[in-house]
Amino acid sequence: MHEKSKTEALWRFGGYGFLIAAALFMIVPIYWIVIASTLPQSAILSSSGALPQLLPGGHFVENFQALQSRQYVNFMSSVWNSIFIAIVYTVLALILCSMAGFAFAKYEFRFKKSIFAGILATLIIPVNLLVIPLFLVMSTANMTNTYAAVILPWAAYPVGIFFMRQSMQAIPDALLESARMDGASEFQLFYRVAIPSMRSSMAALAVILFLFQWNMFLWPLVVLDTDKFTIPVAITKIMGQQVVAFDQLMVASAVAILPMFVVFLALQKYFVRGILSGAVKE
Amino acid sequence: MSSESIVKLSDRLRFQRQRFKEVMPTIPGTAYIFLAPFFITFVLFLAFPIFYTVYLSFFTYQGVASDPLFWVQFGNVYLEIPKIASLEFVGLANYQRLLRDSVFHQSMFNTIYVFAIELPLMVGLALGLAVVLNAGFTRFKGVFRSLMLLPVSANTVAYSVVFVVIVAEGGLLDFIFQLFGIAPLNWLGNGFWSRNLMAFMVVWRWTGYNMIIILAGLQTISESLYEAAEIDGASRLQKFRYITIPQLKPVLLFVLVTTTIGSFKKFSEPTILIGAGAPVKETRTVVYYIYEVAFQNLQLGYGSALTVVLVGIVMSLSVIQLKWS
Amino acid sequence: MTQIDIEGLVKTYEASEDHDVEGNEIVAVDHVDLQIRDEEFLVLVGPSGCGKTTLLRCIAGLESITDGDLRFNGDQVNHLRASERDVAMVFQNYALYPHMTVRENLGFGLKLSTKLPSDDIDRQVVSIAELMGIEDLLPKKPGELSGGQQQRVALGRAIVREPEVFLMDEPLSNLDAKLRSEMRTEIQELQNELGVTTVYVTHDQTEAMAMGDRIAVVNDGRLQQVGVPEELYRNPTNEFVADFIGSPSINLISMDIEGNRLVSEFGFEYEFSDYQVDDVATVRLGIRPEDLEIDSGGTDIEISVVEKMGNENFIYGKLGDKEIVARTDASIRPETGDRVGISFRDEAAYLFDAQSGTALKTKTDTLNAPQTQL
Repeated sequence: MHEKSKTEALWRFGGYGFLIAAALFMIVPIYWIVIASTLPQSAILSSSGALPQLLPGGHFVENFQALQSRQYVNFMSSVWNSIFIAIVYTVLALILCSMAGFAFAKYEFRFKKSIFAGILATLIIPVNLLVIPLFLVMSTANMTNTYAAVILPWAAYPVGIFFMRQSMQAIPDALLESARMDGASEFQLFYRVAIPSMRSSMAALAVILFLFQWNMFLWPLVVLDTDKFTIPVAITKIMGQQVVAFDQLMVASAVAILPMFVVFLALQKYFVRGILSGAVKE
Repeated sequence: MSSESIVKLSDRLRFQRQRFKEVMPTIPGTAYIFLAPFFITFVLFLAFPIFYTVYLSFFTYQGVASDPLFWVQFGNVYLEIPKIASLEFVGLANYQRLLRDSVFHQSMFNTIYVFAIELPLMVGLALGLAVVLNAGFTRFKGVFRSLMLLPVSANTVAYSVVFVVIVAEGGLLDFIFQLFGIAPLNWLGNGFWSRNLMAFMVVWRWTGYNMIIILAGLQTISESLYEAAEIDGASRLQKFRYITIPQLKPVLLFVLVTTTIGSFKKFSEPTILIGAGAPVKETRTVVYYIYEVAFQNLQLGYGSALTVVLVGIVMSLSVIQLKWS
Repeated sequence: MTQIDIEGLVKTYEASEDHDVEGNEIVAVDHVDLQIRDEEFLVLVGPSGCGKTTLLRCIAGLESITDGDLRFNGDQVNHLRASERDVAMVFQNYALYPHMTVRENLGFGLKLSTKLPSDDIDRQVVSIAELMGIEDLLPKKPGELSGGQQQRVALGRAIVREPEVFLMDEPLSNLDAKLRSEMRTEIQELQNELGVTTVYVTHDQTEAMAMGDRIAVVNDGRLQQVGVPEELYRNPTNEFVADFIGSPSINLISMDIEGNRLVSEFGFEYEFSDYQVDDVATVRLGIRPEDLEIDSGGTDIEISVVEKMGNENFIYGKLGDKEIVARTDASIRPETGDRVGISFRDEAAYLFDAQSGTALKTKTDTLNAPQTQL
């Protein structure tokens, strides 16, 4: 559009300024994680105006070793736990949600509407609040402190089924019909026709699921014991023992956050897809 | 057997299988088979617990303090998961109790306070950023977008720890404040600032997410609407007010509702802040209180009642917001 | 009351990856000179992508002008924003504000750009609504209206502001044929009544010929010719204009010149009785379908298709390997496969330089019997 340059320049300046200010706000904590995890305790907190070290120090390894050698908490094992749980969960939930989504998208069956409405209703319930009865279920089944306890409850992720259903609806019926005529069984339809067309949707859902499980805190806290701690619980434990071990805490946080950043940056386009298709449909 | 007869045999088998298939109707329940794993899991772990919570809320379900499953201690708080016993029907007693429970009320206040601060900040920020990112003149859009989105992937416990470290006495924030000549604040020392801190933390964590959603909404607005407004004489601000905002209404509503629901779920942030020394009374959120009640004091019945009330409040808020649009 | 002067207008874009250009620029409007008189209804017509819409948007202020002058009543407006030029535009997709009622849509421009109290605005809105026949629609939202109704609201929105210039970007192209011809007359009547300078863009030459006081034919960003419809029809400056104007299109045959005769590759020959062809090697001979007569003494063509339109017939035939179309009275109905003779009069024929396309000879006949349909 034809613009008058002075007010336009002002808007541009303001816009960029705003953007940069916000970017700085976002960056500072990230920056500090990177730096502080490499600093010794004394350097993280500066007393009375001395300039804190702003560049990476060489202390990462020592911090990490100190972290690892703590009693009661094996940090590395919590890392493996988190990774293992998140991956298994993602795979499991993907399977469940895509199968169910396929059913809703491509089949008619009795009670379809009411079942769907029922699942819809649970969307509003904040997932954290089911902790109490879930815990009872788990302890009755003697399943506390198992991996299954952390993975199973959320495998039927309502958002997941909506997302899969919506994506599957985009598959042309004609494709399935012709496969059926070629003699394919229903299950073959699913994994030979439907799934291959869904790759990017599944990637999107996978990212969302993984993040969900990776960040879960309340439930693992309630149901897991020391040997199976996930990262968030481990960090809490460390804080509990001695709050001022900032250097070790920063290392732990760095391990929790930074690798995920890298993965997330690589996969963000899938994540965005996931948010948007669920979201902007309002 | 000779190879010829093997071929003949497998042929016959295949033929028979095909005949069998043709004779049998398609299993009417195929859809159910696909649905089953999800559905079973869903009912067991999502649907059933919902009803169970409501059910439990009418009981006192007190835990017995035998050897605990495990314990956690940090800062002022000691948490213990014990094995469970005794169940006793008490009708509405739990609900009566929560009406009088000042700790509950305080925790509701804390939660709502954080929500009230976080919501305008976050939505305003997300909206502003989306508008700027959508405007023609911005370069490096992709970089900024990625950057804003990064915090969304941060582990909630870990990032809370990071903020605690930044905000602690002598930490990075104090240094920055000194650079600008502002007196350092005791964030973790008093209730007022710890709540504000939580609000800022949440803004940091979630703005990018909402920004992406609003940005997508912005991009659906047809350019010709802006052109028509330009011809009608609209200034930039007028275009924003009369075109952008009305067109964004459904998206903004979505953001509002999801943010509301999300803000009543906060658990990681208060846990870490309290563990780092923030005053419990002013910092605990509702979910944190429920956790204390259910897993520290082992009052699962009362905890269930609190949960039911919380869900009820959140759902009512969402309905109000939707109706109000 | 506005005269628009366009001098040497140039609009270029930077090429992006989806354009196929040598160099980095796309020239959308290439040195256009045009004067639009006060109260005139000028039609910009041309094929898709020729730059007519870009030119219109430059006049509007929605595109910035790369080079050249744009003046309203002598004052240069290049640097003015669209909101400052006092123009009104009707968009191809109407661009009605979906969240506002028709009443609010109509009143929006007045609300923004004048200081009128809302009562006055409302009165104005209602009177325009009555003029357009849409007063019943005032409380509705655009989503509830049909295409034709939306179009009227879009027109009303332009009129209500009483601007200096109306700009219309193919406003009728989304309507069905019947509605289109209704609205065509209505727009013309409105413009006559209101007397506002109007620039109208269309790709449909029928529409252009019917509506315009003058027509400007544009191709490839360049102005080909400006004139009254009849002028463009009878005296096109080049082959493009001759081909673009008139439906069905003019018949064009490449011919070589041998002395006084025109010779085509497939044996068709022609000699003008009193016209000399200057020293050009090859020409294109142009005959409009309405000027071809079925004449047993003329050149033979073999009929391929006869389209019977009721009041007239379009007869398609092959002259050698070239397809020719003739427009005749309904009574002349040969069958497919028949051979008929065609002829034409010298005065009705056009000649174009085969290389440059420039017209060498245009119609010199007197206006003959009414054409049934342009």
